Amino acid sequence: MIDTKESLSQLVSEALPGEKYPIAKIISKIETENNLEFRESLFQELILQNPDTKEGLTIGITGTPGAGKSSLLGEVCKLFLDLAPDKKMAIVAIDPSSNVSGGSILGDRTRVTLPRRDNRIYFRSQPSQLELGGLNPYTYHVIRFLRKVFDYVFIETVGIGQNEISVSLISDLSFLVMQPLGGDQVQFMKSGIMEVPEAFIINKCDEESLANSSYYMLESTLEFIKDILPDQSLPPIFKTSVTKRKGIEELLLYILKYQNRKDKNLETLTQLTQWIRNEYGRWGISIWEKLESSQWNQAVKRNPLGGIHKLKYEEEERKFVSLIQTKIK
Amino acid sequence: MSAEKKEYLLVDENGQGKPDKPWIFRTYAGHTNAKASNELYRKNLSKGQTGLSIAFDLPTQCGYSSDHEVSRPEIGKVGVPINSLEDFRILFDQIPIEEMNTSMTINGTSMWLLSLYVALAEERGVPLEKLNGTTQNDLIKEYLARGTYIYPPKESMKIIVDMYEYCLHNIPKWNPSNICSYHLQEAGATPVQELSFALATAIAVLDAIKERNCFTADEFEQCVGRISFFVNAGIRFVEEMCKMRAFTEMWEEITKERYGVKTAKYRVFRYGVQVNSLGLTEEQPENNAWRILIESLGVTLSRNARCRALQLPAWNEALSLPRPWDQQWSLRLQQVLAYETDLLEYPDIFEGSKVIESKVKALKEEAKLEIQKIIDMGGALVAIENGYMKSQLVKSQTERLSKINSNELVIVGKNKWTDGIKSPLMTDSDGGIFKVDPKSAEQTLNVLAEAKSRRNADLAKKSIEDLKKAAKEGKNLMPFSIACAKALVTTGEWADALREVYGEYNPPTGVDGQKLFLSDDKVSTVRSKVEAFTKANGHRPKIVVGKPGLDGHSNGAEMIAVSAKHSGFDVIYSGIRLSPEEIVQSAVEENANVIGLSILSGSHKEIVKQLFDELAHYKAKIPVVIGGIIPESDFDELKKMGIREIFTPKDYDLMSIMEKIIDIVSVEPAFA
Repeated sequence: MIDTKESLSQLVSEALPGEKYPIAKIISKIETENNLEFRESLFQELILQNPDTKEGLTIGITGTPGAGKSSLLGEVCKLFLDLAPDKKMAIVAIDPSSNVSGGSILGDRTRVTLPRRDNRIYFRSQPSQLELGGLNPYTYHVIRFLRKVFDYVFIETVGIGQNEISVSLISDLSFLVMQPLGGDQVQFMKSGIMEVPEAFIINKCDEESLANSSYYMLESTLEFIKDILPDQSLPPIFKTSVTKRKGIEELLLYILKYQNRKDKNLETLTQLTQWIRNEYGRWGISIWEKLESSQWNQAVKRNPLGGIHKLKYEEEERKFVSLIQTKIK
Repeated sequence: MSAEKKEYLLVDENGQGKPDKPWIFRTYAGHTNAKASNELYRKNLSKGQTGLSIAFDLPTQCGYSSDHEVSRPEIGKVGVPINSLEDFRILFDQIPIEEMNTSMTINGTSMWLLSLYVALAEERGVPLEKLNGTTQNDLIKEYLARGTYIYPPKESMKIIVDMYEYCLHNIPKWNPSNICSYHLQEAGATPVQELSFALATAIAVLDAIKERNCFTADEFEQCVGRISFFVNAGIRFVEEMCKMRAFTEMWEEITKERYGVKTAKYRVFRYGVQVNSLGLTEEQPENNAWRILIESLGVTLSRNARCRALQLPAWNEALSLPRPWDQQWSLRLQQVLAYETDLLEYPDIFEGSKVIESKVKALKEEAKLEIQKIIDMGGALVAIENGYMKSQLVKSQTERLSKINSNELVIVGKNKWTDGIKSPLMTDSDGGIFKVDPKSAEQTLNVLAEAKSRRNADLAKKSIEDLKKAAKEGKNLMPFSIACAKALVTTGEWADALREVYGEYNPPTGVDGQKLFLSDDKVSTVRSKVEAFTKANGHRPKIVVGKPGLDGHSNGAEMIAVSAKHSGFDVIYSGIRLSPEEIVQSAVEENANVIGLSILSGSHKEIVKQLFDELAHYKAKIPVVIGGIIPESDFDELKKMGIREIFTPKDYDLMSIMEKIIDIVSVEPAFA
């Protein structure tokens, strides 16, 4: 399964310092069906070659189509090169376009002008393959890999209503991007997901008064939610404009200074549950709940927020597969 | 003599037969450098051409001087390179500009080129009120079809309004812009789309002028009278003629009802035409001569909507730039039509025709609905920024191509009666095509270097700073641009100054969500090959469709992007004006299985070399295919450089192209 001419260890050793082509090849491999074995070897190899492997911050950027997410990310990239000279970032842009043929047009690169031949920024597109939640089934593993190589990993998804919850599950910090007075506010309030993102961006704030009125509208909406969740502090709101080049520096500095990490054990647990549900439906979930979940839940409990990542995804996946096989027999 | 009025005759006030004056005969021309183009113009004028239509090369159109790195492969290829006033002095040498009607096909840098023209006139002592002509300056269609925009829509519109304000007060006979639907048809527009998009653009311009409120009511009327149009005439000539009549009637209505123009002459729909090149074929190119004739009839037969100026492509335009002989042949066609036939002796011969009238009515009704849609959206600028117009055009184009592929649309020599004897027109020693001498660029670069070394550097610098300051303050930029022209500022310096203030624009590609209407056996063959690839490799094949260089004719690239998606590929298409470095970087980061390049400007050899150098940098072995106007004589060299497959306009069958591509991709090693 791994090309003998180009061994995995060589690919990993080239990928770790940020070489684009080896990184690209590894991602393609992760994006391949039946990739469990490959993932096992890949993550073993990554730890082997770099025991103090880094764990990049994952930033989710989501919002309705047309909110200007890609253009905003393009500006973030430009500033990143100046403001974080010793850091590296990757972007995974998930594009919802797809049709009957299964083919897709991935247009997000269009909005992002990237510096040439600079290994500090890497951009990768992914078709969503019509998965709910705006994420591709392989996205999670691609992100896990990129976190080992890059200091910051951005995931850009299109989300409408409930769907953008998914991206926040695999992000340490997720943003909801809106347009001024786009009418989104009411929509999001209704769908009850305003509590999900850690921060908000009102993009396209090209005009001061419109930007301010949107800002106050959003603020009051969030205060309303805060009443429901009294222990939560009010999330920050950024006003940005790509055309006027405003607010982007503040946004990036906030990201660069952001320290909190979400519990990776919980993340693993959530993703695994989701995988089981997709793969084996309610039957699979019931087996998993009966036999395994209490043990896992305890493992998660032992690790408070920001704890060390104890659960190894592939190991757990394999455990579950063998468990389910005994059930089938 | 009987005084009885003959309905069929055109007469003067004394009742004497008096045929109409013919339209202005132009040939769209310019190549190599200012000196060679000057010689060409003087020859054409001596052959009976009555106006100049200047073609500029892509760097000039996109606001780069010839010594910029992106210019190198393009200097003098599709038009004349203009770097500074010095080039204009050479270009118009011994040509009396006060007697000329000069049309400049220039958009993003139109203010700059007009400034050069003004500076030249002032230098020669020609009063500005004698200058007569047009700068195309329709940025809306550039965002949609031709791709030589520089700045964002709002700033572009501001520049256009600046020119209207300046011209009306200083060069009253100049048409500051020319609403241009020509390229819309080239990009696939239906007659209704051509009508509605062009008129919506004119409305956007006039609304912006109204908003600035820089004219008195009388001046505003004159200003409306300066708006001219540049349209396309296709092969369905009855429908095209009805389109022209619809244009005339609708413009009359819009100017009267929306803008309250009282003076009848300012409501006249004044238009020039270049007939359609999209329908010209590389196969049996001699047939194009008849197509061009028929297309000309659509815009000349109808007296009530006859064009004021006409330029015809050459029979071999699908192959390369026309040679002087080819242009002469095109000019002769116009002369035969105007002087040998009786066309100009009659009043409108279609007045009262039920067929024509009801067709015109139908076109008008549909176009009105579409215009209303655009206005409701917030006008043409909004419909550009949200991608609406672009996606409509890509849709029409895919439908048209689907019809050619399924033989529903007959194209003689292409999908029907394809066997023929090879044309003797192609057997000349030059192979029937024109190639720019690659050494000629040196002359342009020398003129540029010399102009730069000779100019007063402080003055040049100051005029650029003044221009920037004026742009920041929102002042009318015309006087500052003219000052730059006189200070021998270069095209690139002028454009960069405004880039700094306005930024550069990157519009929607319009390919999202597009579908092809193809479902025959070929499609299923290609799809099954794609599925086989997906099964063998665990993921879909990925193609990067790249449009490198300054050539903005993106129709081909868009069609390939849509076809690849239709076949089941994952497609990365990021629009026009990318460097080979950017295309390779995309392909590498995305781990693409193949790169498809589209190049129509003739600079394929230079660009392909740059691209392979860049692939070598990443040690990436990604197969590359190329499509565009590529002469057969270059095939060997391109293949030797590493190009795997070459597609030309002959390869109109999209699924055959896709099949060749999936075959190439399928034999590549799985993990590479």
